[in-house]
Amino acid sequence: MAGIVCRTLSRVVSSQTSCCSHVVSVRHSHWFTSILSPKTSVPLRAEPKKKKKIDPRREQMMKERLKKKLKKLERVPPELIPIEDFITSAKCFDETRVREVPKLSFEETERRALLLKHWSRYKFSQHQAEMAEIKEALEAQRQALDELKIESEDLYKAAIAPDTDLFPFQHQGPCYTPPIPNYEAPDGKYNDITRVYTQ
Amino acid sequence: MRNISFTENHFTATNHKTASVVSPWTLHGAVCLQRLPVISQDRNPIEEQFSGLMQQMELERSLLSDHELRLLEDAARMSRKQEEDYDSDEEEDYGDKEIVTAQDLEDAWEQKLKQFHPAQRSNGDKLDVSSSERCLADSLVLLIKQDVGSQKVWLLPQIQWMAGETLRQTAERALTNLPGADLKATFLGNAPCGFYKYKYPKDIQKEGSVGAKVFFFKAVMFSPNHLPLKKNSFAWVKKDELKDFLTPEYLKQVYRFIMSL
Repeated sequence: MAGIVCRTLSRVVSSQTSCCSHVVSVRHSHWFTSILSPKTSVPLRAEPKKKKKIDPRREQMMKERLKKKLKKLERVPPELIPIEDFITSAKCFDETRVREVPKLSFEETERRALLLKHWSRYKFSQHQAEMAEIKEALEAQRQALDELKIESEDLYKAAIAPDTDLFPFQHQGPCYTPPIPNYEAPDGKYNDITRVYTQ
Repeated sequence: MRNISFTENHFTATNHKTASVVSPWTLHGAVCLQRLPVISQDRNPIEEQFSGLMQQMELERSLLSDHELRLLEDAARMSRKQEEDYDSDEEEDYGDKEIVTAQDLEDAWEQKLKQFHPAQRSNGDKLDVSSSERCLADSLVLLIKQDVGSQKVWLLPQIQWMAGETLRQTAERALTNLPGADLKATFLGNAPCGFYKYKYPKDIQKEGSVGAKVFFFKAVMFSPNHLPLKKNSFAWVKKDELKDFLTPEYLKQVYRFIMSL
């Protein structure tokens, strides 16, 4: 009974719509979707409008969050570069490397103590001699400048003016053997294994 | 009162300067040219003993190095090989170290050192006083034989000062005026290092010059050059040989500023 009623109702509705559809088809343009078409088309079409407002804001929020994270990371102080000279290498604490040294006799220790004392006396006298020589040279220079001042003021002023061409002064110090004339030193090969640290 | 008198003196002094000639001493500039030592000096007996002691003490207080450890390992391995029940499979894999032992490396290094022939430290006594390659371990000073008055005297190269130049320029001129010399020297500063004054003998005393004042300037030679002068007219001498060349008064002044450290 109910089923028959439903069917008749639906027939009536469809007949009504079919007759109405003629009227409706006049207004039927692409702007108006039919009622029976799926509902999803309505919100899909509205989304591009939402992108203009919310998504730029969302993107900005994302960028800010990333920036804050970066700042937090940067605030951490950079790792200090280790000074390799201050770190005793593990090789020094290796027990297999201990040298076996014979014990010193009494005469040897005595000889060493006496030699050290003799050396300190020798070095002291050497130092005295050096200081005296330097003092003498400075005194000679001072007297020369005094004499020059008596002679003429201009020459004296020229003499005490600083010499700018002298420094930087370079001189090769003495080696054990004199340099061989026209000697070509062979090129040396080396592997540079220094560690380079970046902060 | 004091101020007034000072200005009076100043005024008279300037008048005096413009009126009369300058001081009765003629000025000369001289150069003390030194060739610094090229090789290190030999050690004294005390220095030899002490350096030996220092090396011994350093050795005693040190640890074994990598090379020494390798030597010990090689020696231990060799002794193990000599035993009868030697099993080479028990050994760890040494790889290259078995082929080239540390001792072989040492021998190879010694061979390479012997191939290098360094220059002789001492030239012996073959070189005479006029060579600048004489005593390579000491600093040498250049002396010139010049006419002073009527005599030939050994002294440091000097020349008379001309108006309009500084004394240092005079000294530089004294160096370049040596006949045939192109010695490249660095002058150490504008100030003189010493002076010497002497009076002319009566017969040469001109008007206005009682004697001469010589101002010495120090210079250091940095390119060994042989002066093509006459054999006996110049010499390179050490500090303690100076007394054989210079007159006593001159020597006394020059000795003060020549360093032999």
